Amino acid sequence: MQFGAHFRNTNICETDRGIMKELLDLSQLIEQGQSQKALTLTQQLVNSGLPSQTILNDGLIAGMAVVGEKMRNGDMYLPEVLQSAGAMKASLAILKPLLALEGTKSRGKILIGTVKGDMHDIGKNLVSIMLQGAGFEIVDIGCNADPQRFVSAIAEHAPEIVGLSAMLTTTMLNMKTTIDAIAGAGLRSKVKIIIGGAPVSQKFADEIGADGYSRDAVLAVDKVKQFMDRTS
Amino acid sequence: MNRRLEQALECERPDRIPFLPAIYEHKAWFIGETPSAVCRDPHLLTKALLAEYERVQPDALTIGIDVYNVEAEAIGCKVIYYEGENTSVPAIAPESVVFRGSEEVVSLKMPDPQKDGRMPLNLEVARNIMKVLGKEIPIRAALSGPFSLAAHLTGLENLFMLVFTRPNLVHELLDFASEVIKRYGQAFIELGCGVVVFDSQSSTELLSPLVYREFVLPRTRELIEYFHQQGVRNVPLIIGGNTTKMLDEYLETGANNVLCDARADVTEFLHKCSAARRAFRRNMDSTDFLTLSSEDIYHRTVDCLKESNGYPGFILGTVILPYGTPMTALDAVRSALQEYKHL
Repeated sequence: MQFGAHFRNTNICETDRGIMKELLDLSQLIEQGQSQKALTLTQQLVNSGLPSQTILNDGLIAGMAVVGEKMRNGDMYLPEVLQSAGAMKASLAILKPLLALEGTKSRGKILIGTVKGDMHDIGKNLVSIMLQGAGFEIVDIGCNADPQRFVSAIAEHAPEIVGLSAMLTTTMLNMKTTIDAIAGAGLRSKVKIIIGGAPVSQKFADEIGADGYSRDAVLAVDKVKQFMDRTS
Repeated sequence: MNRRLEQALECERPDRIPFLPAIYEHKAWFIGETPSAVCRDPHLLTKALLAEYERVQPDALTIGIDVYNVEAEAIGCKVIYYEGENTSVPAIAPESVVFRGSEEVVSLKMPDPQKDGRMPLNLEVARNIMKVLGKEIPIRAALSGPFSLAAHLTGLENLFMLVFTRPNLVHELLDFASEVIKRYGQAFIELGCGVVVFDSQSSTELLSPLVYREFVLPRTRELIEYFHQQGVRNVPLIIGGNTTKMLDEYLETGANNVLCDARADVTEFLHKCSAARRAFRRNMDSTDFLTLSSEDIYHRTVDCLKESNGYPGFILGTVILPYGTPMTALDAVRSALQEYKHL
């Protein structure tokens, strides 16, 4: 249950106000990248009996949403984002088993990898972090992933969306090879494909038959949400 | 001697705008080999550089294929090379970082440019090329910038984390990286080569101006000052991405030639570089070279040249050319360069 919804039909008592304040504190600790403090507060909120989904949405995801916004505006850079992501991951580790017990479903499954011949992973990792922060489940198949690895992973994990990353002008050409292989395996209609990375563009995405392109990690989350909204 | 580039770097008007396409892995294509084969064989790399000069006629040649890997490999990182016909670009294996943050920086091996990794190979190639072309065009060594080298040694994400958790250690690591780069650069300077510092891991797309100013700027400034003292008048600093926001910091490094990548704001570069009397290289988006017709590339080049607005410190470049970029694309750029001076 969303915390906001939890309060709409009830009188807000002092205890609830206290919980709201603590969730706000948690989102700020995530934003500030304070892993240890976030972890402690997450555990306290779990112990208080608050649903894990509420802690996830109103604490962790809310914090990462601010991070995304600041990044978009150029007020936050990669090192700071990684600090926030570290804090989110630490807290998420506490919540994950509880979310499973509560039967919480993720917002969608995204398979992501850097294409064949390319060892750069920072962009892919950042997109993964931001997507996780937005509540999506990530299957990361790593760097230098050849087309067959994408095909096998799609068949195994059945993601709704596939993200292809490339940082080199030479390796970006392997995005097309990968998309062709996915089509060749009869899986193209089952997934939306989004590409990203320094040398690629919307024009390139159109040329190679990708469904979408994202210039940065924040926009990648928006693009994924758009596609998920259309498919749901 | 072709002084076109030197004139542009000094902001004196050359006979035409100099052309510096970013040819690294694509060098291998000129001789029908793979990047992995060429970067490990001094004869092939020499042959590839000579072929590049003959076919493209750039206004300077830069030694190297996988330019960010050489120093890190000499220190102990593992480079993945590809065998057979695989034309992928060699890269540092992510799991082969040599510094995790729990060790002392002094435990890292200071490489000897004459002995370690592929440093001697690149020096041999520089010697070969200097013999043949040293009197015709500038020959430059590709050097990692301190932040990019540190990122290879400890992993980029780890380096970002250490910036916050152990800033003093990052300062030490960057000092070590700077010393490695100085020694490697010095070996090329003794052969009569120039140097180019590449530091794209410190791009403003990754680092804030604040972090750049605290960690990277002092070392880069010191490095460039050191090379100046060794007699290299012009030291370019190449940082990719949209670096418009950090141009002030880059100019403060003392580099007299900075990169205005395809996505950066050329108007801002013109304004600030002309005020500081520095040259800049404007990159064309080389991915277009794979899809556009020669005629379209010609017109796109002319548009790019017009952006120079007559500034004498303007150099035309490209984003790294993909392996196998057709020659017709480069011919179209060269035609536009030749004809533009008459436009």
